[in-house]
Amino acid sequence: MEQQRINELIAKYNEGLADPSEIRSLEQLIEEGKVELTSLNELARLDEEIMKTQVHGPTIRLDDAFHAMMEKEKARQNRFSISWPSITWLPRIGVAAAMLVAGWVAGSKWSSPAPDSNVQQLTQQVSELKEMMLLSLLEKESATERLKAVSLTSEMDKVSDKVTNALFQTLNKDPNVNVRLAALDALKPYVQQSNVREGLVRAIALQDSPLVQVSLAELMVAIQEKKSVTELKKLLESNKTPKEVKERIQKSIQVLI
Amino acid sequence: MEKVRDGDLDKLGLLFQRYKRPLYGFFYGLNRSQELSEDLVQNTFFRILKYRHLFRGDGDFRTWMFHIARNVSHDHFRKDKIRDKEDIDKWGGRLGHADHQESDMKKAEDEQMLTIAMDRLPEDKREILLLSKFQEKKYSEIGELLGCTEGAVKVKVFRALQELKAVYQQLEKRM
Repeated sequence: MEQQRINELIAKYNEGLADPSEIRSLEQLIEEGKVELTSLNELARLDEEIMKTQVHGPTIRLDDAFHAMMEKEKARQNRFSISWPSITWLPRIGVAAAMLVAGWVAGSKWSSPAPDSNVQQLTQQVSELKEMMLLSLLEKESATERLKAVSLTSEMDKVSDKVTNALFQTLNKDPNVNVRLAALDALKPYVQQSNVREGLVRAIALQDSPLVQVSLAELMVAIQEKKSVTELKKLLESNKTPKEVKERIQKSIQVLI
Repeated sequence: MEKVRDGDLDKLGLLFQRYKRPLYGFFYGLNRSQELSEDLVQNTFFRILKYRHLFRGDGDFRTWMFHIARNVSHDHFRKDKIRDKEDIDKWGGRLGHADHQESDMKKAEDEQMLTIAMDRLPEDKREILLLSKFQEKKYSEIGELLGCTEGAVKVKVFRALQELKAVYQQLEKRM
Protein backbone atom coordinates (compact mmCIF):
# COMPACT_ATOMS: atom_id res chain seq x y z
CA MET A 1 0.00 0.00 0.00
CA GLU A 2 1.40 3.35 -0.95
CA GLN A 3 2.24 5.88 1.74
CA GLN A 4 -0.55 8.28 0.79
CA ARG A 5 -3.20 5.57 1.22
CA ILE A 6 -1.65 4.61 4.55
CA ASN A 7 -1.83 8.23 5.71
CA GLU A 8 -5.46 8.44 4.64
CA LEU A 9 -6.24 5.27 6.54
CA ILE A 10 -4.55 6.61 9.68
CA ALA A 11 -6.45 9.90 9.36
CA LYS A 12 -9.73 8.03 8.97
CA TYR A 13 -9.00 5.88 12.01
CA ASN A 14 -8.08 8.93 14.09
CA GLU A 15 -11.40 10.50 13.21
CA GLY A 16 -13.19 7.35 14.35
CA LEU A 17 -14.49 6.63 10.84
CA ALA A 18 -12.59 3.42 10.00
CA ASP A 19 -14.78 0.39 9.29
CA PRO A 20 -13.86 -3.17 10.44
CA SER A 21 -12.15 -4.07 7.14
CA GLU A 22 -10.04 -0.91 7.34
CA ILE A 23 -9.12 -1.73 10.93
CA ARG A 24 -7.98 -5.16 9.74
CA SER A 25 -5.83 -3.46 7.07
CA LEU A 26 -4.43 -1.23 9.77
CA GLU A 27 -3.54 -4.26 11.87
CA GLN A 28 -1.75 -5.74 8.88
CA LEU A 29 0.24 -2.53 8.45
CA ILE A 30 1.09 -2.43 12.14
CA GLU A 31 2.34 -6.02 11.98
CA GLU A 32 4.47 -5.19 8.96
CA GLY A 33 5.92 -2.19 10.78
CA LYS A 34 4.46 0.30 8.26
CA VAL A 35 2.25 2.01 10.85
CA GLU A 36 3.45 2.91 14.34
CA LEU A 37 1.06 2.85 17.28
CA THR A 38 2.17 6.38 18.13
CA SER A 39 0.54 7.67 14.93
CA LEU A 40 -2.90 6.58 16.18
CA ASN A 41 -3.74 9.63 18.27
CA GLU A 42 -6.34 8.37 20.68
CA LEU A 43 -4.62 5.05 21.34
CA ALA A 44 -1.24 6.71 21.71
CA ARG A 45 -2.77 9.06 24.32
CA LEU A 46 -4.25 6.13 26.24
CA ASP A 47 -0.96 4.25 26.04
CA GLU A 48 0.81 7.32 27.36
CA GLU A 49 -1.68 7.54 30.23
CA ILE A 50 -0.99 3.90 31.12
CA MET A 51 2.74 4.61 31.14
CA LYS A 52 2.19 7.58 33.44
CA THR A 53 -0.09 5.79 35.89
CA GLN A 54 1.75 5.56 39.15
CA VAL A 55 1.52 2.38 41.12
CA HIS A 56 2.48 2.58 44.77
CA GLY A 57 5.48 0.43 45.58
CA PRO A 58 5.63 -2.71 47.64
CA THR A 59 5.91 -2.43 51.41
CA ILE A 60 8.87 -3.29 53.61
CA ARG A 61 7.24 -6.70 54.16
CA LEU A 62 8.48 -7.75 50.71
CA ASP A 63 12.06 -6.72 51.50
CA ASP A 64 11.92 -8.64 54.76
CA ALA A 65 10.58 -11.74 53.04
CA PHE A 66 13.23 -11.51 50.32
CA HIS A 67 16.09 -11.12 52.77
CA ALA A 68 14.79 -13.98 54.90
CA MET A 69 14.69 -16.16 51.80
CA MET A 70 18.26 -15.21 50.91
CA GLU A 71 19.52 -15.96 54.41
CA LYS A 72 17.85 -19.35 54.26
CA GLU A 73 19.38 -20.12 50.89
CA LYS A 74 22.85 -19.06 52.04
CA ALA A 75 22.51 -21.18 55.19
CA ARG A 76 21.41 -24.11 53.03
CA GLN A 77 24.44 -23.63 50.79
CA ASN A 78 26.76 -23.47 53.78
CA ARG A 79 25.27 -26.65 55.19
CA PHE A 80 25.87 -28.25 51.85
CA SER A 81 29.45 -27.10 51.71
CA ILE A 82 30.08 -28.25 55.30
CA SER A 83 28.89 -31.71 54.53
CA TRP A 84 30.55 -31.95 51.11
CA PRO A 85 33.17 -30.90 50.32
CA SER A 86 34.34 -29.63 53.71
CA ILE A 87 37.52 -28.25 55.17
CA THR A 88 37.47 -30.69 58.04
CA TRP A 89 35.96 -33.74 56.48
CA LEU A 90 37.16 -33.75 52.95
CA PRO A 91 40.73 -34.98 53.59
CA ARG A 92 39.33 -37.61 55.94
CA ILE A 93 36.80 -38.73 53.39
CA GLY A 94 39.60 -38.85 50.84
CA VAL A 95 41.80 -40.98 53.07
CA ALA A 96 38.88 -43.22 54.01
CA ALA A 97 37.91 -43.67 50.37
CA ALA A 98 41.51 -44.31 49.36
CA MET A 99 41.88 -46.93 52.13
CA LEU A 100 38.62 -48.55 51.18
CA VAL A 101 39.62 -48.72 47.57
CA ALA A 102 43.13 -49.94 48.44
CA GLY A 103 41.66 -52.60 50.75
CA TRP A 104 39.22 -53.68 48.12
CA VAL A 105 41.92 -53.87 45.48
CA ALA A 106 44.24 -55.83 47.82
CA GLY A 107 41.40 -58.12 48.84
CA SER A 108 40.42 -58.74 45.26
CA LYS A 109 44.00 -59.55 44.31
CA TRP A 110 44.31 -61.93 47.27
CA SER A 111 41.21 -63.90 46.45
CA SER A 112 41.34 -63.87 42.69
CA PRO A 113 43.25 -61.82 40.17
CA ALA A 114 41.17 -58.77 39.28
CA PRO A 115 40.99 -57.69 35.68
CA ASP A 116 43.35 -54.79 34.95
CA SER A 117 40.51 -52.60 33.73
CA ASN A 118 38.85 -52.66 37.18
CA VAL A 119 42.04 -51.61 38.93
CA GLN A 120 42.57 -48.85 36.42
CA GLN A 121 39.03 -47.67 36.90
CA LEU A 122 39.44 -47.54 40.68
CA THR A 123 42.78 -45.80 40.45
CA GLN A 124 41.14 -43.28 38.18
CA GLN A 125 38.33 -42.74 40.71
CA VAL A 126 40.78 -42.19 43.58
CA SER A 127 42.71 -39.76 41.48
CA GLU A 128 39.53 -37.85 40.57
CA LEU A 129 38.55 -37.71 44.24
CA LYS A 130 41.92 -36.24 45.16
CA GLU A 131 41.63 -33.69 42.39
CA MET A 132 38.24 -32.65 43.64
CA MET A 133 39.57 -32.27 47.18
CA LEU A 134 42.48 -30.21 45.95
CA LEU A 135 40.36 -27.85 43.89
CA SER A 136 37.92 -27.42 46.74
CA LEU A 137 40.61 -26.74 49.35
CA LEU A 138 42.31 -24.17 47.12
CA GLU A 139 39.17 -22.05 47.39
CA LYS A 140 39.33 -21.87 51.20
CA GLU A 141 40.11 -18.69 53.08
CA SER A 142 42.61 -20.31 55.39
CA ALA A 143 46.17 -20.35 54.02
CA THR A 144 46.81 -23.59 55.94
CA GLU A 145 43.99 -25.28 54.04
CA ARG A 146 45.35 -24.00 50.76
CA LEU A 147 48.81 -25.30 51.66
CA LYS A 148 47.23 -28.69 52.37
CA ALA A 149 45.60 -28.55 48.97
CA VAL A 150 48.86 -27.83 47.19
CA SER A 151 50.61 -30.63 49.08
CA LEU A 152 47.99 -33.10 47.89
CA THR A 153 49.56 -33.02 44.43
CA SER A 154 52.58 -34.92 45.80
CA GLU A 155 50.26 -37.90 46.25
CA MET A 156 49.15 -37.83 42.64
CA ASP A 157 50.84 -39.81 39.91
CA LYS A 158 49.72 -37.45 37.22
CA VAL A 159 47.60 -34.34 37.24
CA SER A 160 45.02 -32.97 34.84
CA ASP A 161 45.17 -29.60 33.15
CA LYS A 162 42.48 -28.46 35.59
CA VAL A 163 44.89 -29.04 38.49
CA THR A 164 47.89 -27.39 36.83
CA ASN A 165 45.71 -24.42 35.94
CA ALA A 166 44.56 -24.18 39.56
CA LEU A 167 48.18 -24.34 40.71
CA PHE A 168 49.14 -21.55 38.31
CA GLN A 169 46.20 -19.53 39.55
CA THR A 170 47.54 -20.01 43.08
CA LEU A 171 51.11 -19.22 42.05
CA ASN A 172 50.06 -15.99 40.39
CA LYS A 173 47.28 -14.75 42.61
CA ASP A 174 47.34 -16.25 46.08
CA PRO A 175 47.79 -13.54 48.72
CA ASN A 176 50.06 -15.74 50.82
CA VAL A 177 53.74 -16.08 49.79
CA ASN A 178 54.11 -19.52 51.39
CA VAL A 179 51.17 -20.85 49.43
CA ARG A 180 52.61 -19.38 46.23
CA LEU A 181 55.98 -21.01 46.93
CA ALA A 182 54.26 -24.32 47.65
CA ALA A 183 52.38 -24.03 44.35
CA LEU A 184 55.68 -23.47 42.57
CA ASP A 185 57.14 -26.57 44.23
CA ALA A 186 54.04 -28.54 43.30
CA LEU A 187 54.47 -27.57 39.66
CA LYS A 188 58.13 -28.64 39.48
CA PRO A 189 57.47 -32.34 38.75
CA TYR A 190 55.55 -31.34 35.63
CA VAL A 191 58.13 -29.04 34.01
CA GLN A 192 58.54 -31.54 31.17
CA GLN A 193 55.12 -30.48 29.93
CA SER A 194 55.43 -27.57 27.52
CA ASN A 195 52.32 -25.81 28.85
CA VAL A 196 53.72 -25.90 32.39
CA ARG A 197 57.05 -24.48 31.24
CA GLU A 198 55.29 -21.72 29.36
CA GLY A 199 53.08 -20.97 32.37
CA LEU A 200 56.12 -20.70 34.61
CA VAL A 201 57.82 -18.27 32.22
CA ARG A 202 54.66 -16.13 32.13
CA ALA A 203 54.45 -16.25 35.93
CA ILE A 204 57.80 -14.45 36.34
CA ALA A 205 56.40 -11.06 35.42
CA LEU A 206 53.42 -11.51 37.74
CA GLN A 207 55.41 -11.98 40.95
CA ASP A 208 56.09 -9.25 43.45
CA SER A 209 57.57 -11.34 46.23
CA PRO A 210 61.40 -11.53 46.16
CA LEU A 211 61.28 -15.11 47.45
CA VAL A 212 59.06 -16.28 44.61
CA GLN A 213 61.04 -14.27 42.07
CA VAL A 214 64.32 -15.87 43.14
CA SER A 215 62.78 -19.35 43.29
CA LEU A 216 61.40 -18.96 39.79
CA ALA A 217 64.77 -17.71 38.49
CA GLU A 218 66.51 -20.71 40.04
CA LEU A 219 63.96 -23.08 38.57
CA MET A 220 64.49 -21.55 35.13
CA VAL A 221 68.21 -22.27 35.47
CA ALA A 222 67.50 -25.81 36.65
CA ILE A 223 65.28 -26.57 33.68
CA GLN A 224 67.44 -24.50 31.28
CA GLU A 225 64.46 -22.54 30.03
CA LYS A 226 66.07 -19.94 27.77
CA LYS A 227 62.74 -18.39 26.86
CA SER A 228 62.60 -17.00 30.39
CA VAL A 229 65.50 -14.58 29.82
CA THR A 230 63.25 -11.84 28.45
CA GLU A 231 60.93 -12.06 31.44
CA LEU A 232 63.83 -12.15 33.90
CA LYS A 233 65.35 -9.07 32.28
CA LYS A 234 62.09 -7.23 32.89
CA LEU A 235 62.54 -7.91 36.61
CA LEU A 236 66.06 -6.50 36.37
CA GLU A 237 64.71 -3.32 34.78
CA SER A 238 61.95 -2.88 37.31
CA ASN A 239 62.50 -0.37 40.13
CA LYS A 240 60.43 -2.50 42.44
CA THR A 241 62.83 -5.46 42.34
CA PRO A 242 65.19 -5.42 45.37
CA LYS A 243 68.94 -5.15 44.73
CA GLU A 244 69.76 -8.60 46.16
CA VAL A 245 67.12 -10.20 43.97
CA LYS A 246 68.51 -8.42 40.92
CA GLU A 247 71.96 -9.85 41.66
CA ARG A 248 70.58 -13.39 41.89
CA ILE A 249 68.57 -12.95 38.71
CA GLN A 250 71.60 -11.53 36.91
CA LYS A 251 73.53 -14.70 37.79
CA SER A 252 70.67 -16.84 36.57
CA ILE A 253 70.54 -14.98 33.26
CA GLN A 254 74.27 -15.43 32.76
CA VAL A 255 73.91 -19.17 33.26
CA LEU A 256 70.96 -19.34 30.90
CA ILE A 257 72.69 -17.36 28.12
CA MET B 1 22.40 -12.63 36.83
CA GLU B 2 25.28 -14.64 35.43
CA LYS B 3 27.15 -13.97 38.69
CA VAL B 4 24.15 -15.17 40.70
CA ARG B 5 24.01 -18.30 38.56
CA ASP B 6 27.71 -18.88 39.21
CA GLY B 7 27.22 -18.71 42.98
CA ASP B 8 27.43 -15.02 43.94
CA LEU B 9 24.04 -14.89 45.68
CA ASP B 10 24.54 -11.36 47.00
CA LYS B 11 24.12 -10.05 43.45
CA LEU B 12 20.50 -11.21 43.50
CA GLY B 13 19.87 -8.51 46.12
CA LEU B 14 20.85 -5.89 43.53
CA LEU B 15 18.49 -7.39 40.95
CA PHE B 16 15.74 -7.48 43.55
CA GLN B 17 16.21 -3.79 44.39
CA ARG B 18 16.14 -2.90 40.71
CA TYR B 19 13.16 -4.95 39.61
CA LYS B 20 10.89 -5.29 42.65
CA ARG B 21 8.86 -2.20 41.75
CA PRO B 22 8.16 -2.97 38.07
CA LEU B 23 7.45 -6.57 38.98
CA TYR B 24 5.13 -5.49 41.78
CA GLY B 25 3.45 -3.02 39.39
CA PHE B 26 2.92 -5.81 36.86
CA PHE B 27 1.30 -8.10 39.44
CA TYR B 28 -0.67 -5.30 41.04
CA GLY B 29 -2.02 -4.36 37.61
CA LEU B 30 -3.21 -7.93 37.20
CA ASN B 31 -4.74 -8.60 40.61
CA ARG B 32 -5.15 -5.26 42.46
CA SER B 33 -4.07 -6.76 45.74
CA GLN B 34 -1.05 -5.39 47.52
CA GLU B 35 -0.48 -8.42 49.68
CA LEU B 36 -0.92 -10.90 46.86
CA SER B 37 1.32 -8.89 44.54
CA GLU B 38 4.07 -8.84 47.15
CA ASP B 39 3.71 -12.59 47.58
CA LEU B 40 3.95 -13.10 43.82
CA VAL B 41 7.09 -10.91 43.59
CA GLN B 42 8.56 -13.02 46.37
CA ASN B 43 7.58 -16.23 44.52
CA THR B 44 9.15 -14.93 41.34
CA PHE B 45 12.45 -14.26 43.08
CA PHE B 46 12.21 -17.59 44.82
CA ARG B 47 11.96 -19.29 41.42
CA ILE B 48 14.79 -17.15 40.03
CA LEU B 49 16.95 -18.33 42.92
CA LYS B 50 15.85 -21.93 42.59
CA TYR B 51 16.26 -22.13 38.83
CA ARG B 52 19.24 -19.79 38.51
CA HIS B 53 21.26 -22.56 36.84
CA LEU B 54 18.78 -22.44 33.95
CA PHE B 55 19.57 -18.81 33.12
CA ARG B 56 21.47 -19.18 29.85
CA GLY B 57 22.96 -15.71 29.87
CA ASP B 58 22.36 -15.22 26.16
CA GLY B 59 19.19 -13.19 26.67
CA ASP B 60 17.97 -10.28 28.68
CA PHE B 61 17.45 -10.87 32.42
CA ARG B 62 14.27 -8.79 32.49
CA THR B 63 12.68 -10.91 29.76
CA TRP B 64 13.58 -14.08 31.65
CA MET B 65 12.26 -12.56 34.89
CA PHE B 66 8.91 -11.63 33.30
CA HIS B 67 8.69 -15.09 31.78
CA ILE B 68 8.92 -16.52 35.31
CA ALA B 69 6.57 -13.85 36.65
CA ARG B 70 3.89 -14.80 34.12
CA ASN B 71 4.19 -18.44 35.12
CA VAL B 72 3.94 -17.51 38.79
CA SER B 73 0.82 -15.48 38.12
CA HIS B 74 -0.79 -18.16 35.95
CA ASP B 75 -0.01 -20.84 38.51
CA HIS B 76 -1.60 -18.75 41.23
CA PHE B 77 -4.79 -18.09 39.31
CA ARG B 78 -5.00 -21.65 38.10
CA LYS B 79 -5.35 -22.55 41.76
CA ASP B 80 -7.86 -19.82 42.35
CA LYS B 81 -9.95 -19.73 39.21
CA ILE B 82 -13.06 -18.10 40.65
CA ARG B 83 -12.13 -14.48 40.57
CA ASP B 84 -14.14 -11.65 41.86
CA LYS B 85 -15.36 -10.08 38.61
CA GLU B 86 -17.02 -6.83 39.36
CA ASP B 87 -20.12 -5.72 37.57
CA ILE B 88 -19.75 -2.57 35.52
CA ASP B 89 -22.62 -0.96 37.47
CA LYS B 90 -20.70 -1.23 40.72
CA TRP B 91 -17.77 0.76 39.38
CA GLY B 92 -19.47 4.05 39.91
CA GLY B 93 -19.06 3.44 43.61
CA ARG B 94 -15.32 3.27 43.21
CA LEU B 95 -15.17 6.64 41.52
CA GLY B 96 -15.18 10.02 43.12
CA HIS B 97 -13.54 9.08 46.40
CA ALA B 98 -10.25 10.66 45.62
CA ASP B 99 -9.25 12.94 48.41
CA HIS B 100 -7.38 15.49 46.36
CA GLN B 101 -7.39 19.22 45.89
CA GLU B 102 -9.87 20.39 43.26
CA SER B 103 -7.13 20.99 40.67
CA ASP B 104 -5.89 17.45 41.02
CA MET B 105 -9.33 15.93 41.22
CA LYS B 106 -9.88 15.60 37.46
CA LYS B 107 -6.47 14.00 36.94
CA ALA B 108 -6.97 11.60 39.82
CA GLU B 109 -10.39 10.65 38.53
CA ASP B 110 -9.08 10.07 35.00
CA GLU B 111 -6.36 7.88 36.39
CA GLN B 112 -8.80 5.97 38.54
CA MET B 113 -11.13 5.49 35.60
CA LEU B 114 -8.26 4.21 33.48
CA THR B 115 -7.37 1.77 36.25
CA ILE B 116 -10.95 0.54 36.39
CA ALA B 117 -11.08 0.25 32.59
CA MET B 118 -7.87 -1.77 32.71
CA ASP B 119 -9.41 -4.06 35.33
CA ARG B 120 -12.35 -4.63 33.01
CA LEU B 121 -10.14 -5.94 30.19
CA PRO B 122 -9.75 -9.67 29.64
CA GLU B 123 -6.60 -10.96 31.33
CA ASP B 124 -4.55 -11.48 28.15
CA LYS B 125 -5.19 -7.90 27.02
CA ARG B 126 -4.48 -6.45 30.45
CA GLU B 127 -1.31 -8.47 30.58
CA ILE B 128 0.00 -7.28 27.21
CA LEU B 129 -0.54 -3.65 28.24
CA LEU B 130 1.20 -4.22 31.56
CA LEU B 131 4.10 -5.98 29.87
CA SER B 132 4.33 -3.11 27.42
CA LYS B 133 4.50 -0.69 30.35
CA PHE B 134 6.93 -2.58 32.55
CA GLN B 135 9.09 -3.88 29.70
CA GLU B 136 9.28 -0.24 28.57
CA LYS B 137 7.68 -0.93 25.17
CA LYS B 138 10.46 -3.23 24.10
CA TYR B 139 8.19 -5.19 21.80
CA SER B 140 10.88 -7.56 20.53
CA GLU B 141 11.60 -8.66 24.13
CA ILE B 142 7.89 -9.12 24.75
CA GLY B 143 7.68 -11.15 21.54
CA GLU B 144 10.47 -13.37 22.86
CA LEU B 145 8.50 -13.78 26.07
CA LEU B 146 5.23 -14.63 24.34
CA GLY B 147 6.75 -16.65 21.54
CA CYS B 148 5.62 -14.38 18.70
CA THR B 149 7.03 -11.71 16.40
CA GLU B 150 7.49 -8.07 17.30
CA GLY B 151 4.80 -7.18 14.74
CA ALA B 152 2.36 -9.62 16.34
CA VAL B 153 3.00 -8.00 19.73
CA LYS B 154 2.21 -4.57 18.30
CA VAL B 155 -1.07 -5.91 16.93
CA LYS B 156 -1.91 -7.39 20.34
CA VAL B 157 -1.18 -4.02 21.96
CA PHE B 158 -3.29 -2.29 19.31
CA ARG B 159 -6.25 -4.59 19.98
CA ALA B 160 -5.89 -4.23 23.74
CA LEU B 161 -5.76 -0.44 23.47
CA GLN B 162 -8.83 -0.47 21.20
CA GLU B 163 -10.78 -2.45 23.76
CA LEU B 164 -9.49 -0.27 26.56
CA LYS B 165 -10.67 2.80 24.68
CA ALA B 166 -14.13 1.26 24.26
CA VAL B 167 -14.42 0.42 27.96
CA TYR B 168 -13.11 3.84 28.93
CA GLN B 169 -15.68 5.58 26.75
CA GLN B 170 -18.43 3.42 28.23
CA LEU B 171 -17.33 4.51 31.71
CA GLU B 172 -17.24 8.16 30.72
CA LYS B 173 -20.86 7.95 29.57
CA ARG B 174 -21.88 6.65 32.97
CA MET B 175 -20.23 9.52 34.80
